Amino acid sequence: MKTQHGSVARTGGRLRTLAVATAAITALTLAGCAGQGSGGGGDTNADGKIVLDFWNGFTGPDGPALQQVVDDFNASQDEIEVKTNIMPWDTLYQKVLTSVAGSNGPDIIAMSATRLPQFADEGLFMPVDDFYEDPEHDTDALTESAIEASMFDGANYGVPVNFTPMLMYYNKDLFQAAGLDPEAPPTTWDELAAMVPKLTVDENGDGKPEQYAMALGDHETVPIFPSLLWGTGGGVVSEDGTTSTLGDPESIEALEFWVSLVKDQQASPIGLNGADADKLFQTGKAAIEIVGPWMTTGFDEAGLNYGLAKPPTGPTADATLADVVSMGLPSNASDEAKDAAYQFFAYWNSVEGQTTWSNGSGFPPTRSDVADKVTESPYPVVFGDPAITETARVLLPGVAAGGPILQNVFTPALQRALNGEGTVEEIFTAASAEVQAELDK
Amino acid sequence: MTTTVAPAAQRPRRRPASVNVRRTRTAWLFLTPALLILIAFTLYPMVQAVWLSLTDYNLIRAAEFVGLDNYAALFADGAFWNAFGNTVLYAAVVAPVTVVLALAFAILLNQRFPGRAFARTAIFLPFIVSLGIIAIAWAFLLDPNIGLLSYWLSFVGIVPEQGWLTDPRFAMAAVMMVGIWKNVGFYMVIFLAGLQSIPVDMYEAARLDGAGAWQRFRSITLPLLSNQTLLVSVLALIATLQAFDQIYVMTRGGPFFRTETLVTLIYREGFENLEFGYASAISFVLLAFVFILSMVQYGFLRRRQVTY
Repeated sequence: MKTQHGSVARTGGRLRTLAVATAAITALTLAGCAGQGSGGGGDTNADGKIVLDFWNGFTGPDGPALQQVVDDFNASQDEIEVKTNIMPWDTLYQKVLTSVAGSNGPDIIAMSATRLPQFADEGLFMPVDDFYEDPEHDTDALTESAIEASMFDGANYGVPVNFTPMLMYYNKDLFQAAGLDPEAPPTTWDELAAMVPKLTVDENGDGKPEQYAMALGDHETVPIFPSLLWGTGGGVVSEDGTTSTLGDPESIEALEFWVSLVKDQQASPIGLNGADADKLFQTGKAAIEIVGPWMTTGFDEAGLNYGLAKPPTGPTADATLADVVSMGLPSNASDEAKDAAYQFFAYWNSVEGQTTWSNGSGFPPTRSDVADKVTESPYPVVFGDPAITETARVLLPGVAAGGPILQNVFTPALQRALNGEGTVEEIFTAASAEVQAELDK
Repeated sequence: MTTTVAPAAQRPRRRPASVNVRRTRTAWLFLTPALLILIAFTLYPMVQAVWLSLTDYNLIRAAEFVGLDNYAALFADGAFWNAFGNTVLYAAVVAPVTVVLALAFAILLNQRFPGRAFARTAIFLPFIVSLGIIAIAWAFLLDPNIGLLSYWLSFVGIVPEQGWLTDPRFAMAAVMMVGIWKNVGFYMVIFLAGLQSIPVDMYEAARLDGAGAWQRFRSITLPLLSNQTLLVSVLALIATLQAFDQIYVMTRGGPFFRTETLVTLIYREGFENLEFGYASAISFVLLAFVFILSMVQYGFLRRRQVTY
């Protein structure tokens, strides 16, 4: 963990004396404290600036873009210094509660809108409704669904970091090699199903294809699979977040289609996590992947000849998964830290901040009025295409049990079904009861 | 008479006592740093955890006392029994296999042959390396698409359709294998030390009496290694019942909880589901289980303890 330079220098000398003078245990305890960095109160550093520790999970090629906006903000004024602390999302979710409870945690916490309600329900976050009420923060141009994504139980607990739909990446060279038109990616589930036999290739006939039509992660990944249920009018939980709909005929229909496509047609390897799926597509071993704009940089650097399109639409409904990351404040934040953080939130979502962010990361901007300024990267326009964003939905917004439902019920059930441990209907009817139990907790 | 004898008898008795007191004081002084650390980092958290297991604590909200609700919920929880079964299976396979393999390696590497030092180091090395790093390395080796091991196995016709670690049929075996490979070197070293303390003349005498290699092993090596066997078996059992690191890194308890042990479940309940009270309750059930098993094992093997 990063600490302020001033405090390191000061405690370093004291520590050394103490370690010599006193028993080992004292030194150990002190070392533990010294290593923890700024506390939940927004410490001030040697220059009298308020230091805000900003935890987020932008570990990918989007990290430097985020850092750039933070650096610009730090340079734009001389009262606040934001320090980024970038770690894998999983690590962040597992550490954040203990850190905040121990009062040596972050001052600003970013997290996925799907996970935020769980933590808000535990009391980690403070409501930030007053941020939106202050006209100085200029929030009118922000994408409405990005703001709504962090709503839980009538209050808003976050300010958007990004809002983006997932798009279908397809490898044009592999399409060409399979005799398919590289400019005509599948637009519906049926078109996709018809292409799978051509794109999944098992040359040596050992039963394990060398090339797959898709790279579809089933665990530790952006939740593409649960979002596919929308295509038939199904879903994991009802619109109001109180009833499980996982066992409904519509949901079962979608699951049967996708499980059969993956298991029987070998459309995708089973048991991929998000990183495996990215790797498979990046190395040209999978022809299609549905993922967010953060992969564009990696795929460009790998020299892939790929196209981007809206994911194939289901038979009854046209809905794609939206990924929203929001940033919030720990419930024990001081007024001083809160005011400072609001200034950063406003800067992040300002015309200037969003222009830098979109140009650097490929994410579409969170506000509608900067599109003409984002010219350095071609991707924000593609991902921000209104025709796509209008159909983009957040998974399980405002559902406190959202995280546990996905991790403890949906993912294991899906893995059971993909491994043939029962029929889709049996497995997901049972899983639906478990989802309901989580919702009723 | 008696009045004069008594103090005379007491005086010499008091003197060694004061030496004892001084010795005891020195001993306590030497023990103090270690004890302080134990109290601060082991005893105190344990007592705290007892309290936690009786509450619905989540780190941020104030803990509310719920009595034995967590324990009651636990015994009705399918996830707990699944993890319990996996833990027992893991321990039942890994502990004996590790001990037998360690003994076999120790006997083998107690012989003189070229490359002995290298072989000893090679077997011991995995123990020094962090289990987290080892697990990452194995996950790479076993990767279905880029893994070296998967590639070699494909030459002999073994082609897992999906990764070893995500296939419910192989995942447990894979984490077991890494668990064995990791620890066998440590137990081997303990056995090796034991082997070298067995007097050579015993073997010479046995040989003169016409005892074969197997008989020498049965009648000399095995009984005289009893102390080491006791230590190693208890350590191995406790270690396997607490299996966590490589499972967490390699499979995260998946696919669908097939490799979830009690400690991985504790981690999931605590840090992912944010149910710290419930997680503490599970850890106490595990503690009780480990304690009982170790006592039984100790009682059984202690009768064979030897001094020579």
